[in-house]
Parts: sequence; C-alpha cells; structure tokens
Amino acid sequence: MTARILSPLILGLLLIFLIGPFLIIIAASLSAGDTLAFPPQGLSLKWVAKVFTIDSFRESFAMSMFLAVFGTLTALVLGIPAAYALSRYKLPFGETVRTIVSLPIIVPGIIVGLALLRYLVVPFGFNITLALFMAHTALVLPYAVRVVSASLNNLRSDMEEAAVLLGSSRVGAFFRVVMPNIRGGILAAFILGFVTSFNQVPVSLFLSGPGVRTLPIDMLGYMETTYDPSIAALSSLLAFLSIGIVFLAERFLGFSRYV
Amino acid sequence: MFQNRAEALALALPAAVFAALVFLLPVVVLLSEGFRIDGSWMLSAYTGFFSESLNRTVFLRTFRLGLEVTAVSAVIGYAAAFAIVNLPPKGKGRVIGLVTLPLMISPVARTYAWIVILGRTGIVNQAIQGLGLSDGPLRLLFTETAVFIGLLQLFLPLMILSLISALENMPKDAVPAARVLGANWFQVFWKVILPLTREGLVVGGTLVFTGSLTAYITPAVLGGSKVLMLETLLYQQVSVANNFVSASVIAFMLIVMSIAANILLKRLATARNKR
Amino acid sequence: MSDAYLKLDKLTLAYGDTVAVKDLDLTIRKGELVALLGPSGCGKTTTMRSIAGLLNPSSGRITLDGSDITRVSANKRNVGLVFQSYALFPHLTVYENVAFGLRLKGIGGKDLDGKVSAGIKSVGLAKFADRKPAELSGGQQQRVALVRSMVMEPKVLLLDEPLSNLDARLRLEMRAELQRVQKETGVTMIFVTHDQIEALALADRIVVMLNGGIEQVGTPEEIYNNPVSAFVADFVGFENVFALENGKLATSTTSVELSGPAPQAAKGLAWRPRMVTLGSGLYQGTVRGTSFAGNTREYLLDTPLGPIKAEVDAELPTHAIGSTLPFDLPLAAAAPLSRYR
Repeated sequence: MTARILSPLILGLLLIFLIGPFLIIIAASLSAGDTLAFPPQGLSLKWVAKVFTIDSFRESFAMSMFLAVFGTLTALVLGIPAAYALSRYKLPFGETVRTIVSLPIIVPGIIVGLALLRYLVVPFGFNITLALFMAHTALVLPYAVRVVSASLNNLRSDMEEAAVLLGSSRVGAFFRVVMPNIRGGILAAFILGFVTSFNQVPVSLFLSGPGVRTLPIDMLGYMETTYDPSIAALSSLLAFLSIGIVFLAERFLGFSRYV
Repeated sequence: MFQNRAEALALALPAAVFAALVFLLPVVVLLSEGFRIDGSWMLSAYTGFFSESLNRTVFLRTFRLGLEVTAVSAVIGYAAAFAIVNLPPKGKGRVIGLVTLPLMISPVARTYAWIVILGRTGIVNQAIQGLGLSDGPLRLLFTETAVFIGLLQLFLPLMILSLISALENMPKDAVPAARVLGANWFQVFWKVILPLTREGLVVGGTLVFTGSLTAYITPAVLGGSKVLMLETLLYQQVSVANNFVSASVIAFMLIVMSIAANILLKRLATARNKR
Repeated sequence: MSDAYLKLDKLTLAYGDTVAVKDLDLTIRKGELVALLGPSGCGKTTTMRSIAGLLNPSSGRITLDGSDITRVSANKRNVGLVFQSYALFPHLTVYENVAFGLRLKGIGGKDLDGKVSAGIKSVGLAKFADRKPAELSGGQQQRVALVRSMVMEPKVLLLDEPLSNLDARLRLEMRAELQRVQKETGVTMIFVTHDQIEALALADRIVVMLNGGIEQVGTPEEIYNNPVSAFVADFVGFENVFALENGKLATSTTSVELSGPAPQAAKGLAWRPRMVTLGSGLYQGTVRGTSFAGNTREYLLDTPLGPIKAEVDAELPTHAIGSTLPFDLPLAAAAPLSRYR
C-alpha cells in the first residue's frame, strides 16, 4: 500500500542524495569549458588529460600510493602477530593491548599529525616522510588487527594442534595451516587499509611540506587557488580507482564477508 | 599449546609499542601542553579558551551540528533501512552496495561535489534563478547548512548500514506479534522496533556523531573560515596563529568527546552480552 | 610394572586457582584400549591433552616407552590425537591431509604414496582422496582424521569423544572400525568419553575419573559389577545407592535397618533397579510413577530411604500409582562399596 510507493521513493531520493553528487562530478569533469560548472558545456576529456600533466599531482599520487601500500604492509606485519596473540592466547593484558592498538580509530588524526610534527619533526629534524609513513601505518593498524582477528576467531585452534602433533613446529603450523585459511582476511585487511590510508586527510594535514604531500592534501591546496574541472576529473579518477579495487575484491574474494 | 604468555606478549608487543609510541605518546604530550603554563599545572588555558566568544561559538556549533546530523541521519536512516531490508535479496545487495559505495570514495571528492552543486554557478542556484525565485545567486556555500548537508552525506551510509544490521537481527516475529495484538505502526515503531534495534542506533549514532565532531575536510571546504568547526579552528590556530596551547585545548576536547562516545558504545555492547 | 608402556606419575595440572588434575597415577600397558570415563570437568580431557603435549603439567611425570616425555614438545612425542571436531585441514584434500605428517618427516615419492593410499583405502575412502573435507560427511571426516594419525604409526593413539557426535548407526560402525584398527595394528589406544555404554563396550580397561582424580580403574566387568564408590555405582547404572553407617542404611535424613548383617568393610551398598524385589520385604514404599519399557516395567517408589527405582518383568501384575507395597533390597544382590564418597 503506502509502503509500496513510499519505499522506492525513499530509496530513490536516498540514492540520488548519496550518489548524485558523485555523478555530477563525473559529468563536470568531462566539460569542454574552462570553468567548473554543471551541466557541463560540451563534452571533452581534456581535463582528465590535464590531470596527468600536473606534476604535483603525479608526485603526490606517488606519495599516497607509497604510503598506502607500504604503510598497510607494515601494519599487517605488525598486526598479524598481534591479532594471532589476541585471538589464540589468554593474553595477560589483552584488553589493554587491544585498546592501545585501536587508539588510532579513537584519536582524531589531525591531533596525531600535529603532535608528531611538533615533538618529532620540528625539534629533532625527523624526516617528515618517515613521520608521515609511521602515522599512516599506525592509522591502518587497528583495521589490520581487527579484520585478521575476526578471521582467526573463525578458525578453530585445534587445527594447529593437529598439525603440531603430526610433527610440525609452531611456526610451521602457522604458515602451513593458519595462513592458507586466513588469506582472504589478510587480503581484505590490506584492501581496507589501502583505501583508508589513500583517502586519509587529517593525519597528513600537518605532516606536509615541499615534496611531501599526499594526494588529497595536494588537491585541497589546488582547490584553494584554481577553480577548474581538474579537481573534478581527479576526484572522479580516484573514485573509480577506489570503487574498482573494492569491486574486484568483492568479486574475487567476497570482500564483504571480512568486514 | 597456547599457554606460554611470554610468546603471546612477544607477538603482540611490537604492534602495541608502535601504536603507543606513534600515537599515544605524542598525543599525551600535546595534551599536557594545555594544562601547563610556564611549567606549572593549571587550567587557565581552558578558561582562557572559553572566555573568547569565537571559541565558544565554534565549540557549540560543532556540538550542535554533530547532534543535528546524528538526529537527521537517524530518521532518514530508519526509513531507508526499512525500505532496504524489505527488498528481494538481489536488489537488496545492490542497494547496499550503492549505499556503501560513497564510503570508499575520498572525502575530498565527496565534499567537492557540493561545491559544484551549491556554488554560485552551481545547479541549485541555476535552478532557483531559472525558476525566477531570486534575481541573483544565493550564497549557499560557507553556511552551516552547507556543512550540515556535507556531513550528512558523508556519514549517512554508516547509520544506514548500522540500522540494517540491527533490523536484520531483530526477531522476525516481533512486528507481526505486535500487529496481531493491535498496535498501529507508530506504536510498533516506538515500542517494538526502537527498543530492539537500540544498539544499532547507538552504534550508528556514535559513528556519525564522532565523525561529525572530528571531520576536517567537509567543514574546511564547505564552511571555510565563515563556519569554523573545532578541527578547522585547530588547524587555523596552529598554522595561522601559532597558538599551540589553544590547539592543545581543542585537541583535548576532541579526544574526550571521542573517547566518551566510544566508552558509551562499549558499555552498551557489554550490557547486551550480559542479557 | 615392567610392561608399563605409558605411565603417569603424580600428574598435576593446575591453572591459577583451578586444579584440573591432581596427583594422578596411571599405568597403561602396550596395546591396551583404555577409556577415560567421567562427567565433564573431571579432568579426563586435560589428562589426555597433557599426554599429547598440548598442556604442560604443573608437576609430575609422563613416561612413554621408557622415556620421560614430560618436557618433550608435542611435535616430537609421536602421539596421535583424533580431535572431537576432527580438525582436518580445510584447504587440503583428503590425500594431502593424510600425507601431511609423513611429508613433515621427509617421506616422499612412492613410499609416501604407498602409505597414504593404503591408509585411505583401509577406511574405505579411496574414492574421496581428491575431495576436500567440507565435501565429506561427519563419519567420513572422522575416518580421515583417524587415518591421518595412524599413518604416522604413533606410540599411543588418543581419541577425544570419538563416538559422541555420531548417530546410533554410525556409532556402531565407528566402534567396529576402532576395534579393527586396534586389532590389526596393536596400537595402544586411549579414548576419552562421558558415556559409560561406550566405555563398557570398547575398552579393555576403564579409568573412572572425578574432580581431577581417579575413582576406579578396572575391566568393564569389574566396573560394572563391583563399583568401589557411590559415584562409580551411580555412573554405571546402580540407581539405588546408599551409605552404610553403623550397619544401617543411611541417608541424610534417616537410617534404616538392613535385613541382615552388612558386608565387612563396606561403607555403602548399591542395588540395580532389577535387583529390587516388589511384593514382599522389610520396607514399605508408595508408587509415585511407573513406565512401561517393553520387556520390563519400571517403578519409582517413595520410601523412607528416599526415591527407589525398581524394574520388574512386564508380565507381572502392575501396581497402581499411589498404592503402597512392601519391597526388599536383598543383601545378596547388593554391590558393596568400599567407600561412599
């Protein structure tokens, strides 16, 4: 009755509200004109092409990629053993460890960036890129631990015991029996971490400088001075990148199962 | 086989130490700056901060907007979640995917879209002028409304997903049972659905509220310096005014609000498990 | 004992405040099939896991085939364990599951293939060699788990509640399977169970455990006919168990005379329902409930001694609920208990 009309109406409006702006950006980026406008005046890929020519975008993209990939990998290297310890052992300070590792989700990123700048970079001349890298790694760490923990909790521990009784060492049992079965979780954690790091802004706000800039920060700076569709084009490209990764993850992995 | 505590600690320590050194330590030091003037502990930084009307305005505005966004997202969230939960499986999956989609896109992109829409030459203004409702372009950007809309769009998916999960975990017979006993839809919502989905509401609400409090990009882009929020104020205090004490005060408040929200969340989670 | 194959000496396992197993002494001969029987929490699983090396004892010693293995790590003990959940590796095929331990030993090629194939064939799963565990039924998975352990030629094979998860038919099949394996290979087998029927049916010897200690060790016949304590008696189906004080049957509230002198040194007496005679005797009881069980009829009587359960031939005339009748607990049929608690 009313539900039958109301329901599609609500959903329609909702999706327009959530996704519409994104579609508008895509359209605006295809504008043949010179200013940012919607509807676009004519269609052209020139702004999309322009994005690739802007040096600072290329550099900051590389930086963002570097941070996302290696920061997440580092977070996994730290996080997988921690997740294993938390899920398999009755750790004496388990809750404390879990809280400390989850801090980055609770503490607003901007504060961390500021704190690192003020106490590490400025007084000691600590390398900004390194500080940024550490911040991104710490940012992704809670996601890594959480997702991998969930996978481990779903895996019975007697499998490892069985492997050990059949002659395997503990480490061997982990790599032969546990890893193959949490592979999906690890990959999901990686993708989640990658997307989180790549799109991250507040942490990187203060930890920027000449040559050290993440892409979103670079975009913000560009937006302040230039009002052309380049940003729209870049936003669209990045959005497709993110969506593409997650889509592939869902397709080949069933990504949504892990998060 | 999992008895050796030393083993466990060795495995967990690197991550914990790393997080403590990179996050905990610097932040604690930063926060202490707000409590110490010239080497002695006092609260004058805080009293000083709140004595300025600008700061009070910013603090209240941030809080108020946070609550508004949370409230509105709850209402829309329930409506949307109901609609989605009753969809056939295939459609449901697709719609949920579409709702989750924005979460994967950079906040910069998502916020930027509103410039296109709300700007002087944006769609809304074009429509308003086209319809003859106004002679000149309205200033829609750099208003609280713009920030509100931006934040809502940013966090609404979180509320919706949370409520969907809560609705699906509700015992399936609860609503029909209430209907059979004579409840109308309003009563069903208030007395059955709301209590049973309370946790989902709290989870979603906490995520939306803390998100709104600690958002940077959206207030920065859509509000600018005309609609300052706590994080944009913080940025300003550091980069323009070089006022670290003030920044520390703001940081402390942000963290306290964030932690308070998280503790509330944990309390409610454990309260449930006890039942 | 010179033919002791597995020996537990004063084995104690304590965690914080809880003591799971206390000062356990047990000797098992080579080739025996022993059941650790008891209710949950009695320490049987803890004992089994410490034999496997998955738990470290707080004190005590475990000796296997002449060597002290107390501090030997679990992967070097050559002890096999069939888990209650089977613990098969889901990402490996049946073949690879069975080959797992052999590969770790460095066995490969034809030798490996021969052993694995023979093992899989011996449990009738040759057709399933390339399947993954998820594709197999519970019973089949269990057989894979069994073979996986057996190809390693373990010194002792431990089984955790091997029959509990199975339905009646599979249970009989698995019982036969276990007996066959034991006969053919002569492996020393210890299994843990809470089901006295399983223990009585399979084991050469039963170890009845309670609260971290051993109540009684004996052959199934001994346990069944001559329980030493009230707990064991109750566990194997003596439903009428009483303490003996000053030559009288005692409960917490009353004491009642016996029809004759009590056996020497007995601290308690126990009767199976079958042994209770109705219609004549020293005692009086009121029928509270009755149920028909095919060949027999069961009665629950309210008596000064508390509830008494009796079982008589179904052909005999029935006693109505509420009726009062005399009954006897014949001393000749009583099992004397050397201790009550």
